[in-house]
Amino acid sequence: MKKKTWGIMFATLMAFSLVLAGCGSNNSNSGSGSSKTLKVWFMGTSDTVTPITKMYEEQNPGVKVEVQAIPWDSAHDKLLTAVASQNGPDVVQMGTTWVPEFAAAGALADLAPYIEKYPNLKAENFYDGAVQTGQYDGKTVGIPWYVETRSLFYRTDLLGDVGYPEGPKTWDELKDASQKLVAKGGAGHYAITIDGKDQITAAIFAWQNGIDFIDDQGQPHFNDPKYVEAIDYMKSFFDEKLTPVGTDLDGVAAFKDGTIPMFISGPWMIQTIKDKDPEIDGKWTVTTLPAKENNDSSIGGSDLSIFNYSKNKDEAAKFISFMSDKEAQLKYYETSNSLPALKTAWDDQAFQDPMIAAFGKQLETARPAPQIKEWETIAQAQIASFEQISIGGADTQTEMDKLNDKAKEILAK
Amino acid sequence: MREFAKQWNKNKYPYMFIAPAVLLLVVFSIIPIIIALVISFTNMDLIGLADYSNIRGVGLDNYINIFKDPVFLKSLFNTFIYVIVGVPLVVICAMAVALLLNYGTSWLFKTFRVIYYMPSITNIVAVAVVWGYLYNGSYGLFNYMLSWFGIPAQQWLQDPTLAKFSLILLALWKAIGLNMIIFLAALQGIPRSYYEAAEIDGATGWKKLRYITIPLLSFATFFVTITTLIGWIQFFEEPFVMTKGGPLNATMSLALFIYNNGFKLSNFGYAASGSFVLFVIIILATIVQFAVRKKEVEY
Repeated sequence: MKKKTWGIMFATLMAFSLVLAGCGSNNSNSGSGSSKTLKVWFMGTSDTVTPITKMYEEQNPGVKVEVQAIPWDSAHDKLLTAVASQNGPDVVQMGTTWVPEFAAAGALADLAPYIEKYPNLKAENFYDGAVQTGQYDGKTVGIPWYVETRSLFYRTDLLGDVGYPEGPKTWDELKDASQKLVAKGGAGHYAITIDGKDQITAAIFAWQNGIDFIDDQGQPHFNDPKYVEAIDYMKSFFDEKLTPVGTDLDGVAAFKDGTIPMFISGPWMIQTIKDKDPEIDGKWTVTTLPAKENNDSSIGGSDLSIFNYSKNKDEAAKFISFMSDKEAQLKYYETSNSLPALKTAWDDQAFQDPMIAAFGKQLETARPAPQIKEWETIAQAQIASFEQISIGGADTQTEMDKLNDKAKEILAK
Repeated sequence: MREFAKQWNKNKYPYMFIAPAVLLLVVFSIIPIIIALVISFTNMDLIGLADYSNIRGVGLDNYINIFKDPVFLKSLFNTFIYVIVGVPLVVICAMAVALLLNYGTSWLFKTFRVIYYMPSITNIVAVAVVWGYLYNGSYGLFNYMLSWFGIPAQQWLQDPTLAKFSLILLALWKAIGLNMIIFLAALQGIPRSYYEAAEIDGATGWKKLRYITIPLLSFATFFVTITTLIGWIQFFEEPFVMTKGGPLNATMSLALFIYNNGFKLSNFGYAASGSFVLFVIIILATIVQFAVRKKEVEY
């Protein structure tokens, strides 16, 4: 195709996108004079945050906080649209794994000047892992808002029967307990679920085996013997039928009837189990993950960021500072059961409960997923590889060599 | 120039009538297609979306890479299976249902029209929840029914081969309704006199069906085949809500592959090249359909 035609086509594309962008840009920054509107996007349901934004409005007369709740499923699409139109909210809740992607696109404001201004935003207030999730390329673009990590849920009665009333403490104990549980339970019984579709599952086992699969230089180590060993360990649970292959078993029901007495999940499951399985109250608890070289878990949750296209950045920073207050963090725990990222909030009475405390302990050694913008692509490739190994019967080393090459290719782009 | 103005003045009314439709078509179909074509030759991703100066042309790289991508090839193969199994099934089943429902006009037949049409207007997410339970390997109705005959439980959505056919079954159930309505309308358009004439000549039910009904339905069949074909080439909702393309990409369709690359991984350039391959496939399939179409039957 001739160069001129290219130019015309590209100009058409530009003109068209400008028209589209123009369509929506009039309604931002409607705040004038004394009353300001702060647009805030949250994921999930709005009734968990509106009580807190009401508190903010009361303390700051003249400011109206407009909360928009976006379902997690469509949040990524919606954020893409906001970036494309350069017209979005002032404050946005970012899932921790999305931060690098959007930070690389320049959609998130550098928060350094605001951290100086508001002591609430200082890094030492929050869990280390959570602070790392808000960093990209040496800049702070997100302030931790709430955190979650994965720990081991187990049936104390059933694990007690096979000699582990305190829960398995090491990989070997986990394996041993699993084999005994299945041997004792018989047909239709499993020991633990391993969610291969969750991008963080393999990462957790790899970290525990002491391998940082994407190092500081951005080199992947998926075919490192330690990574392969971790995958083989996970695979053995499928091979020995300690873990169900199909994922359509109802985990909550299976936990109740004892067919799956252990699973690894996040803090949100505490309330779910309490609500749905009241019959087994007192027969289950949560503990930190079993260790190999360490018992590191993953940290996730959400950060609060300022959208770079916002015209209300100062007000937005003030709002984030308020959200990092102990009071706001505790309120959010009350409305949503999401664990506070603020360390001092954990001194509160609410976190003395042993199950929550187990998550608190796990958080101290929790690490975020690699903070690189290619992580999502690599994570998807890693999920596909693990599926090939656990269900498709592929050889672990061969598959991991392939994955490593693919990761190298993705990272080299 | 003057001549042109005169001509224009004379002929402006038809253009004014089609203008709104053409405008909508251009703005919402033609221009996006051109934009997608342009994007498919670039490395556009999220960073490019935020700042156009980061977009770089990559020539045919996206098209070359996509045909080396095992997931894309797998999705191409899956889509092919969906089409060759799904399209004939939909056409045959929809026609059969329409023929049966055309036998009577009592309340029973009318009720069944509603029943067959219902899946077409039901929200896919609601359908997915219900069918998810039907297909459930541990508590599902299908496995329960199999157990009556002593057949072991099947992993409907977890087994790579079976999952594909589970999705086809679901999509078939959903597609029959709309196509049945088209066939019913066509059936009602066949004049009674043809059948009366045939009866006088001693034609039996089967012969009437073979020599009058089916030939006269050819236009409806053609229409249904084309729309169904395009629909199945773009097969998306069912794998998206039921299996997300798994297990082992066995249910990944072309449209889902494009969606994943575009919206999950933000590789807009790569996804756009995928959508162009899909576009070309649809055009080719439609041309083939028009080419093999037999002459219109007229009595």
